[in-house]
Amino acid sequence: MTLRLPDQRLDHWRDRLPDLLNRYSQPIVDLDCGDWMLNCSDLADLCAAVTEAGHQLGRITSRVPETIVSASALGLDASRSNTPSNTEDRPNPAVTGPSDLLFHHGTLRSGDHLQSDRSILLFGDVNPGARISSTADVLVWGRLRGVAHAGCEGSTTAKIVALQLRPLQLRIADVVARGPDDLPQVGLAEQAQLKDGVIAIEPAVIQSLQKR
Amino acid sequence: MSTTRTILICSGKGGVGKTTTTANLGIALARQGAKTVVLDADFGLRNLDLLLGLENRIVYTAQEVLAETCRLEQALVKHKQEPNLALLPAGNPRMLEWLKPKDMQAIVALLERQFDYVLIDCPAGIEDGFKNAAAAAREAVVITTPEVAAVRDADRVIGLLNTKGVQPVQLVLNRVRPKMMSNQEMLSVDDVTDILALPLLGLVFEDEQVIVSTNRGEPLTLSDSSSPAAQAYGNIAQRLQGEDIPLMDPSQARRGLRARMRKLMQTRIF
Ligand SMILES: Nc1ncnc2c1ncn2[C@@H]1O[C@H](COP(=O)(O)OP(=O)(O)OP(=O)(O)O)[C@@H](O)[C@H]1O
Ligand SMILES: [Mg+2]
Repeated sequence: MTLRLPDQRLDHWRDRLPDLLNRYSQPIVDLDCGDWMLNCSDLADLCAAVTEAGHQLGRITSRVPETIVSASALGLDASRSNTPSNTEDRPNPAVTGPSDLLFHHGTLRSGDHLQSDRSILLFGDVNPGARISSTADVLVWGRLRGVAHAGCEGSTTAKIVALQLRPLQLRIADVVARGPDDLPQVGLAEQAQLKDGVIAIEPAVIQSLQKR
Repeated sequence: MSTTRTILICSGKGGVGKTTTTANLGIALARQGAKTVVLDADFGLRNLDLLLGLENRIVYTAQEVLAETCRLEQALVKHKQEPNLALLPAGNPRMLEWLKPKDMQAIVALLERQFDYVLIDCPAGIEDGFKNAAAAAREAVVITTPEVAAVRDADRVIGLLNTKGVQPVQLVLNRVRPKMMSNQEMLSVDDVTDILALPLLGLVFEDEQVIVSTNRGEPLTLSDSSSPAAQAYGNIAQRLQGEDIPLMDPSQARRGLRARMRKLMQTRIF
């Protein structure tokens, strides 16, 4: 029997895991991570929780390449799963709310690459040498100093918002811009959007933090 | 649980001062009374023994200890002048393949029985050499210089250490040139800590004496040298031991010099 992490739209796996493990009877836990994008420290936490509950971690399956890469990096037995997606049967693609937003806590350091097919809300900094990319919007509750790509599958209405926008490079859809040379104003969130085919940076308006 | 502090000295980028820091910190801690062992995990390009002037005393390495062809005591090289310090070479430069994370853990477990500090001199890079060296570390000191590339690589290493649960990770900023910093020709201390977001364990100024002492095989901290780098390493050792020693301020260092110059000039005038 495989242990499935909860549907992202319903629960956070961290909240549900202890309970799921409690109800799991076999010694070896084969884990289906579904649509969760898990980084190395998430997976390390997962492993620890499994061991703590007295089980042993077996195979990991996931439908997210990043999760598989992170798991392999930790030396875990990871492969792509073939169970149907939780999100493919999404009733209404226009539905708003946390389901089309990926939350990520923590700073992206040089060499990290956070990617999602949802809008990303990052609590932390994007350091020089790190990348963040989304098919939709990129929202950074911190300092953006690396490379950000919004609308990476071509959406020209995607935008990039950061508390401090000082990127090495910005990309929206297939338009590329080098970061501004001058220092941003302190305490003023800024946003980058495509205007007439070029990336324009301006102070972020509250409204831009809400979904279109 | 052992109370030994097993600290990885690492950097990402090569040549920023890992081995120099390991040697000087090892001596400084030993002089402050802590039983300290320095473990050369960069054994492909081993030179910690050189810096400590112990090259000709190495007979065995950790490799033989684990193979049980010698006892740990036989492989440990005691420092000539500083009996609290010992060196353990991790391996023979020609046997690059042997040291795996579990070997590292086994060696460190042995060392933790008799030492207060285990300092691990890590190879540059983030590949296997780094991962093996990091396998047994509880804490880490990341060395960087105020250069963009060194800071970038340090950031990468910190990210990796975070995923391994190494805690705390502290920062040493090496080869600081106060004059270049105040002229903004070099990243400032704030520029560096702003990106790396780590507690700053110490600043070491660029100091010719480091190179002189390296070539002699006598780390600066061995004598009561008043050179700025020697003091910096002493301070770092004290801070590691939990003492509250104020950081050197590069701008003050300059002002101090200028004030002294001014005084000199005044003396001449009168
Ligand atoms: N504070 C300093 N002032 C002047 N020279 C220094 C200082 N720190 C280190 N150096 C010099 O920099 C060089 C490299 O130092 P070291 O060998 O300690 O670096 P490393 O990080 O161990 O290098 P590797 O990555 O090759 O192992 C040496 O020649 C050393 O003398
Ligand atoms: Mg070295």
